[in-house]
Amino acid sequence: MKKIIFILSLLLIGQFLFAQQIEVESYVDRTKIGISDLVKYTIEISGEKIGNISTPRLPKIENFEKLGSSTSSSSNYSIVNGKMTSKVTKSYTYTLRPLKIGNHLIPPITIKIKDRSFTTDPIHINVLKGSTQPAPPTSSSFTQQPNSSLDLSDNLFLKADISKINVFEEEPIIVEYKLYSRYDIANLAFAGDTNFEGFWKEDIYKPENISFDRETYNGIMYNVMLMRSVALFPTRSGKLNIPSVALNVDIRTQSHSFFDFGTTKRYNIKNKPTSVKVKPIPQSNKPSSYSNAVGKFKLSSNISQTQLNVGDSFTYTITISGSGNLKQFDIPKLKEVNNLRFLDPEITTDINKNKISGKKTIKYLIIAQEKGNFTLPVVPFTYFDTSSGSYKTLKTKPYQLMIGEGDLTFVASSAAQSIVSMEGSDIGFIITEGKLTSNNNYYDMFFYWLIWLILLLFIPASILYSNERTKLRGNVDYIRQKKANKILKKYMKEASALAAHDDPGFYAAAQLGLSSYLADKLKEPRGSSTEDIISKMGLRNIPAKLIEKIKTLFETCDQARFMPGGFSKESIETDFQHVKETINEITKCKF
Amino acid sequence: MKKTIFTLISMFIVINIFTVNQIELIHQEAIDLYNEKNYQTALDKFILIENEGIVNSDLYYNIGNCYFRINEIGRSILYFKKALKVRSDHQAARRNLDYALTFTQDKQDSESESVIRSFWQKAFDAVSINLLAIITLFIFAAIIFFISLMIIRFRNREKTVPIFITTILIFFFIAFLIVSFLKWQEFHKQNEAVLLSSSAIGYSGPGKDFTRVFTIHEGMIFTIERDEENWSLIKLENGLGGWINKDTFVIIKL
Repeated sequence: MKKIIFILSLLLIGQFLFAQQIEVESYVDRTKIGISDLVKYTIEISGEKIGNISTPRLPKIENFEKLGSSTSSSSNYSIVNGKMTSKVTKSYTYTLRPLKIGNHLIPPITIKIKDRSFTTDPIHINVLKGSTQPAPPTSSSFTQQPNSSLDLSDNLFLKADISKINVFEEEPIIVEYKLYSRYDIANLAFAGDTNFEGFWKEDIYKPENISFDRETYNGIMYNVMLMRSVALFPTRSGKLNIPSVALNVDIRTQSHSFFDFGTTKRYNIKNKPTSVKVKPIPQSNKPSSYSNAVGKFKLSSNISQTQLNVGDSFTYTITISGSGNLKQFDIPKLKEVNNLRFLDPEITTDINKNKISGKKTIKYLIIAQEKGNFTLPVVPFTYFDTSSGSYKTLKTKPYQLMIGEGDLTFVASSAAQSIVSMEGSDIGFIITEGKLTSNNNYYDMFFYWLIWLILLLFIPASILYSNERTKLRGNVDYIRQKKANKILKKYMKEASALAAHDDPGFYAAAQLGLSSYLADKLKEPRGSSTEDIISKMGLRNIPAKLIEKIKTLFETCDQARFMPGGFSKESIETDFQHVKETINEITKCKF
Repeated sequence: MKKTIFTLISMFIVINIFTVNQIELIHQEAIDLYNEKNYQTALDKFILIENEGIVNSDLYYNIGNCYFRINEIGRSILYFKKALKVRSDHQAARRNLDYALTFTQDKQDSESESVIRSFWQKAFDAVSINLLAIITLFIFAAIIFFISLMIIRFRNREKTVPIFITTILIFFFIAFLIVSFLKWQEFHKQNEAVLLSSSAIGYSGPGKDFTRVFTIHEGMIFTIERDEENWSLIKLENGLGGWINKDTFVIIKL
C-alpha cells in the first residue's frame, strides 16, 4: 500500500515539475553597434502549455528608444517513450535605437507568467560612432569618385540650412532640412514630431512624395531632397536651439543574383542640432507708434475719392508690404476725425509662399457726415528695421477732403451703435431754483383740517336744505309768503309803467299789488277788503304810522278810481312817489 | 379798533416779505459761492437760512451737497436724509444719498429685502405726504358730495348707483387714510440717527466697561431704541445692537 502511494506521489511530482518547466531567455542580435544602427532585442518564452501570455511590457531602457515590436511563436512536438510532449516558443522582438555613444546596459527584465516571475539576464551593448555594419553599396547611378568614402555617415546625412544665425526677436529665420544621399532609398518617414520651442513656426514646405535633385556638396555629387522647410519667428531673446529632425530611411541593398530581389535596411538619421543667437529689440528710444513689426516694410496709402457729398462713403486703404512678422504686428492707429464716421477696418494679410514676405491691407470705409473741408491725418507706422538695427517710421500722405452738401441725411446704422458707458460718477448738482418757503406738512396744519370741517358741514347743511324743501312743498301760506315779494314787484312794474304815461290805471295796479302783497304776508285770502287788511295789520307788530300811511294810500286810490276827476296829472306823479316810499317801508317790516 | 388790527396785519406782511427777500438774497449768494467752488462759505450761508427756521427739502439737499464737497460724509448723509424726511419723493436727494453711502467705510444697503417689500417701500417713498394729504382731501370731498347728493336729490329715489360709488370712495378713503397715518408717523418719528464721528464702538451696556460688540464708522445710519444718560442703545440695519455714546451721532429730525 505504502509503495503504491510513493509511486503515485512520485508520478504526480514529476508531472508537476514537468508542467512547470518554462524558460525565459533574452538576447540581442548584436552587442556592438553604431549610433545610426538599430538593435533587435528579443525575449523568448518557451515551455509546455504556456497558454496565452500577454506581450511583456518593456520598461523604459536608458539610452535607447523603442521603435517597434513584433511577435512570433513556434511549437515543437516530441514523442518520448510513447508519451507526447509539446513545447511552445513565443518570441517578442523589439527594435531599439541607441541615443548615445558609449557602453550601455539593457537591464534585467522581469516577466510574470502564471504567477511566477522570471528575470532575464542583463545585456551589455557597445554603441560606437557611425555604423558598424558594412555600408550598403552606393547606388549604381553614382560613379565611384576617388575621394569618396564608403562610410555610411558620409553617404547618407541630413543637414539643416539656416538662413541667418544672428537675428532680432520676431525676425524670421528660414530653416531647410535637406537629405543628402548616395544610396538607393526605398522609403522615407519622419521619426516623431519636432517641437520648435521658443519660436513661432510657419510651415513652408513638406514633401508629398520622394523626389531627388542632384547637387554637389564638398565636391561630391548627392541625391538631395528637401525634407522640410519652416519659417521660424523667435519669440524670446538669447541662444535658441533649432531642433534636429529625425528620419527613418530604408535603403535598398543591391541584389546579387537573379532570384535575390534585395532587401531593405532601415537607418535612423538625425541632423546635427544647431542654434541661433537672438538679440532683443532695443527698448530705448522706442517710438510710441511702434507696432511690434520687425523686418523691412514699405507703406503706401490710397483714397478712393477726395470730392464727395454728405452721406457718401469712400475707402481709405493702407498697405504695408515687405518681409517680417506680417501676421503678428498691430495695425497702425487711425486718428478719428469728428465729422467722418469710420467703420471697422477690413484687414487682409497676404503672405507669400516663403511665409516671411507679403502684404497687409487695411481698408477703412469712411462715411462723410458733414459738409466742409477736412484733412485725413497722417498715419504713422513704426517698425524695427532688422538690417540697420533701428526703428523706422513710415508715414502716409495727408489727404484733403472736400465734402459738399448731399441730398441724403446721414442715418446711423444700429449695428455700429454702442451703449453709452459711464466715465465717472459724482453727486448731483445743487438745486438753484424754486421758492425757499418751508415745506409744511399739510397734516399738521390747522387750515387743512379746517377744510375738512367745512366739507363736513355740507352734510348738515344739505339735510337742512332738504328739510326746508319738504316744508315748502306742504305749506301753501309759506309759499304765498315767500312769493309775495315777486307779486308785488310784478304789480309795481306795471304801475310804474302806467304812471309814466299818466294813466289813471296806475292807481288800480298799485292798489291791487299792495293789497295782494299784504294779504299774502298776513296769510289772508286774496281779495280781502282793505279794511280787513288794515285791521289785521294792527294786530301785528307794525308801526301805527305806517298803517296810517297805507290807509291813506288806499283811500287815495279808491278816490282816484271811483270818483270822477279824483286825480290830476300832477297827483299821479306825487302819488307814485308816495307808493314807492310806502312799499320801501313795508318790505322792511317783519310780519 | 379795526384800524389797529389792519395796521398790525399789514406790518406783519411787510416784515414777512422783507425777511423772505432777505433769505432769497442769501440763498442766491450761497448758490453763487457754490458755483465758485467756495463750498465752506456757501455752506455757512445755507446754514444761516436753515437757522431762520425754514424747513425745505431743497435747502437740506443743498446743505448735504456742500458737506459732501468738504468731505464731511456723515453730515452730508444726515442732510440728504433730512431732505428725504421732508419730501420722500425727492429724487435728487435719494440719488445723492445712495452715492454718498458708497463713500462710507461700512457697507450699508438692504438689498436682502423681498421683492414685494421693496416695491411697497418704493411706492411709499414715491408719494410725498402732502400729495397724500391732497388726495385724501379730494376723496373726502367726493364722499361728502355724493352723500349730499343722496340727501338732496335722491331722497325719494333709487340710490344704488350713488351708494355703490360712495362705497368705493370710502374704501379708497380708508386706504389712503391708513397710508397717510403711516407716512405721518414716519415724518414725526425721531429714532433714526447718523454717526458723525469718524468711528464709534458699540458696547453691550451703557459704559465703556462692557464688552465691545462692534465698531461703526462715519455715515452709518441706525435706529435708536433706548436712552440711558449719556448712552443710547442703537440697532444697526443688519440686526446688530449695542450701546454707543450720545456725542457721536445726531438724530435725523426737522
